[in-house]
Amino acid sequence: MTDLIYLKRLFQAYYQEERESIPIVNSLNLREFGFIPWEKKVFMKRHMKFETPDELKDNIIQNAPKHLYSSGSLYMLPDAKEMENKKYLGCDLIIDIDVDHFYTPCKNNHDLWVCKECGNKGSGMPDKCPKCKASKFSKLNWVCDDCLDIAKKEIKKLIYDFLIPDFGINEKDMKIAFSGHRGYHLKIEGDELRSLNSDERREIVDYLTGNNISFELLGLIERSKEIHGLSKENLGWSQKIMRKVEEFLSKPKTEIERILLDDKRFNFSQNYVSSFLNYKDDFLELIKKGERNVWAIEGFGLIMWKKFLKEIVKQVGVELDEPVSIDIHRLIRYPGSLHGKTGFKVQEINMNELEDFNPLDEPNERIDPIVFKTEKNLSYKLEITEMEVPMTKIKGAKYGPYVKGEKIEVPHHIAVFLLCKEVAKLI
Amino acid sequence: MSISNELVNRYPWLPSLKKYYNDIGEKPPVEFIAEIFNSPDNHQIAERVLNIFKAAFDNLEEIPNYQIDNLNVYVYLLLKIILYALNNKLITNRIANLYSKNAYSDMERENNESDIYEISHDLGLKINYYDPPIEYGLKIVKDHREPRRTNFTIHYIDYLRLASNLRDEYRKLTNNTLINGFVFVQNKTLIRLIQEYVRNKLLIEETDDKASLKAFIKEVSRIQGFKDLYDKILSLWVERKEDFDFTFKIDIKSKEELLTLYPPCVLEVLKKAEEGQNLAHHERLYIVWFLLALEYPVENVINIFSTLPDFDREQTTYQVEYAKRKNYTPYQCSTLKSLGLCMAEKYKDELCLTGYGSKDPTERKLLKHPLAYVRIKQYRTEKEEEYLKNLAKRKLEEPKNQND
Repeated sequence: MTDLIYLKRLFQAYYQEERESIPIVNSLNLREFGFIPWEKKVFMKRHMKFETPDELKDNIIQNAPKHLYSSGSLYMLPDAKEMENKKYLGCDLIIDIDVDHFYTPCKNNHDLWVCKECGNKGSGMPDKCPKCKASKFSKLNWVCDDCLDIAKKEIKKLIYDFLIPDFGINEKDMKIAFSGHRGYHLKIEGDELRSLNSDERREIVDYLTGNNISFELLGLIERSKEIHGLSKENLGWSQKIMRKVEEFLSKPKTEIERILLDDKRFNFSQNYVSSFLNYKDDFLELIKKGERNVWAIEGFGLIMWKKFLKEIVKQVGVELDEPVSIDIHRLIRYPGSLHGKTGFKVQEINMNELEDFNPLDEPNERIDPIVFKTEKNLSYKLEITEMEVPMTKIKGAKYGPYVKGEKIEVPHHIAVFLLCKEVAKLI
Repeated sequence: MSISNELVNRYPWLPSLKKYYNDIGEKPPVEFIAEIFNSPDNHQIAERVLNIFKAAFDNLEEIPNYQIDNLNVYVYLLLKIILYALNNKLITNRIANLYSKNAYSDMERENNESDIYEISHDLGLKINYYDPPIEYGLKIVKDHREPRRTNFTIHYIDYLRLASNLRDEYRKLTNNTLINGFVFVQNKTLIRLIQEYVRNKLLIEETDDKASLKAFIKEVSRIQGFKDLYDKILSLWVERKEDFDFTFKIDIKSKEELLTLYPPCVLEVLKKAEEGQNLAHHERLYIVWFLLALEYPVENVINIFSTLPDFDREQTTYQVEYAKRKNYTPYQCSTLKSLGLCMAEKYKDELCLTGYGSKDPTERKLLKHPLAYVRIKQYRTEKEEEYLKNLAKRKLEEPKNQND
C-alpha cells in the first residue's frame, strides 16, 4: 500500500466515522464543490453540486479527497462547466488570513527554500535569491505556534478593529474557521453583502488593508514649507493611524531605533533614525495635545513622512489574501473537511472560543483540529525523504528537526502530518 | 414617509414617479406618445426635449432654461423613449451625463437637506439625517480648529454601489470616515452619489433586437409630432456627429496593429471613450500616460477624448502636452487594481490572470506593469511570426529536397 493510499483510507475512515458531524453549509444545493484527489495526475475536479446533505456526505466518504472546497458564491446551476452558464446569484464575503502570504519572523526558523536557478538554500521568505537574484524557489513551509498566533492576532484585528466598529457587522453573522494549515477563514453571509460586485469588494479590501490610502486626503500637506499632519480627532483611518503612531512613539528609544532600522519594516537610514529620535518626544507631545498639527522633524519632508505613515498603515491594516475576498468565483476549504497537506481538520470555532483557541494544542476535544491522535501509545515508523525537515511541535511535544534518510518513530498524528507534508514515507 | 408630488415633478427619475403617475406607467409607450402629442402642451414638451439634445451635443454642463413644473415628468419619459429609439450609446451617454449633472446642480443650488433626505429615502438608500449636524473630526489650519460636520451618513453597501464607479481618490472608502456601517458624507458628496444614480437610470442598454426596434420606430413615427422631433434630433446628430468621432483607430494607421497588444485595462478605457462614456479622472490620466509612454502623437491622444461629454480641445491639448513634457509613468497593476481599473477578470485575459515565463503554473510570474503586457505580447507576436516564417520556408524547401 502506498503512502497516498494509506492517507486516503485514513481520511475515508475519518469521514465515515464523523459522518453525522460533517457541517452543512447554508444554501448547499446552490454552491459549487471542488475536490483535489490524492491521485497526482488529476489536479482538481470542480463544477460539482449536491442537492442534499446526504448526497454530499456519501460523495465525501466515497472519494475521501485530499482537499475539499465549496464556493462562496451561490448559483442557479452550480454544476455548469462554464462560469457564465452557472447563473450567478451572489457571493458571501470571505476573508482569508494565511501566513503564507506575509512575513513572520518565525519563518526564518522553519520555512526552507532552495533556489531553482543556482541551488542556493536558506530559510525565511526571500523575494529573490540572495546569491543569483532569481525568484524561483522550491519551498517547504512549516507551521508553528508563533505563526498561528500571528494569524490569530490578525483575525482578531480584523474583527475587533474593523468589522465590528467600522462596518457594524454583528458577531453572530461571522463564521470563523481554522484553515487546517497556517491561517483562518472568516465568512459573512447576508443578502446585502452577497450582492456586491468585485469592484465593490475591492473597496472593502482596501479599507481593511489600508491599500492606496491617500495621506493628502487625510490631511497630510506641505504649506509654507511646513508639514501639516493627520489628526487623531478625525474618525476613521486618520484616527487609527495616529493612535498607532502614538503607541509607537511611546516605546523605549532603543526599540524605536531597532524598528526604524529594520529592513523588513521602516528601513530608514541611520541619519533619519537619529533625527527622528531627537525629536520623538516633541512629536509625541504634539500628538497627545492635538492642538496643532505641524510635524517638524529635521530632514523629514513629505516623502519621508509618507514612507513613515505607509509602514504605520501596514501595521494598522489587516494582512489578508486579497484575491480571496475580491474574486467572486473562488472555492474555499469546506468546514469540517481535512487539509491534505497536514491532516488537520478545517475547524469551525465560535467567536467566544477564538481567544483561547490553540490549533496545535487545543484542550477542548470538540474543536481540536488534530483528529488523528494516537490511541494506546502506538507509534509509527517513518523514513525522512526530504533533505531537511524543521522541528514540529504539536500537543506540547517536539519532534525533529530531521534530515534525509533518518528513521523515526512518532505518534500517529505526527506521522500523518509528515506524510501529508510529503517529507517522509512509511516503513 | 411619502415624498411630495413637487419633488417628483422636479426629479422625475425618483422611484415614486410610479406612484404619482401610475396611469402613465400602465399605458403602452405608443399610446403615451400619442397622448403627449395630442395635448395642448405638445410643442413645449417637444421643444424642451430638443433643448436637452442640443445642450448635450454642444457639450454644455447644464440644460439651459430648464423648467421645473408638471411637464417635466413628460419631458423625462419622452427623453427615455427617444434614447431607446435612437439606440446609440454615444448619444445615450451624453444625455445621461448632462441630465445627471443638471440634477446635481439643481440639488446643490437648492441645498435643502430635508429634500436630499427625502430623495435618498425614496431611492431606497439607507441613510441617517442629523439636525443639528454631527461632528466627525477636526480641521486644523495653523492654530485655528474647525469641527468637521455633516447632516448625513449613508450605509456602506449603498455607498459602495454608487461610489465604486466614480474611481476618484476622494470617494474611496478608505479615505472616508466609516463608523458602525455608515459612511460620513458631506451634503455635496451625497448629491454627487445621487447624480450617479440618475446617470445609471438613463443608461439604457443598446438593444440587439433590431427588428422590434424598427417596428417600434415605424409605429411611433405615425404620430407626426414625434416624427418631427425624432427627425430633428437625428439631423442635429448627423450635423454634429463628426465632432465626436472616435478617431483613435483611424488616425494611427502606423500603429494600428498595436491595439491587439494592449492590456484589457487600456482596451476598456478606449471602449468607454469610443462609446462617449464619461471617463473618471484616473482613467483619463492613465490612458494619456500609457499612450504617451508608447510614443503616440499628442494629436492622436487628444482625439481620443473628442467623444467625451465635456471635451474641450484647447484644455485637453494643454493637459496632454503638459503630461508629455513631464514624462509620467502609467499606473502599475497594483494601483490599477486599487482604482478599480484592472479589467483582467472582466476580459478573462490569460496573460494578466496567469502570468508568463513558464508552462508550470507555480513558476509563472505575474505582470506588475501594463507596459510589460505590451512588451510580452509584442515578443510573442514576433516569435509567432518568426515561427510561421520558418515553417513557410521549410515547406518551400521540402519539395526541392524531394526533387533532389
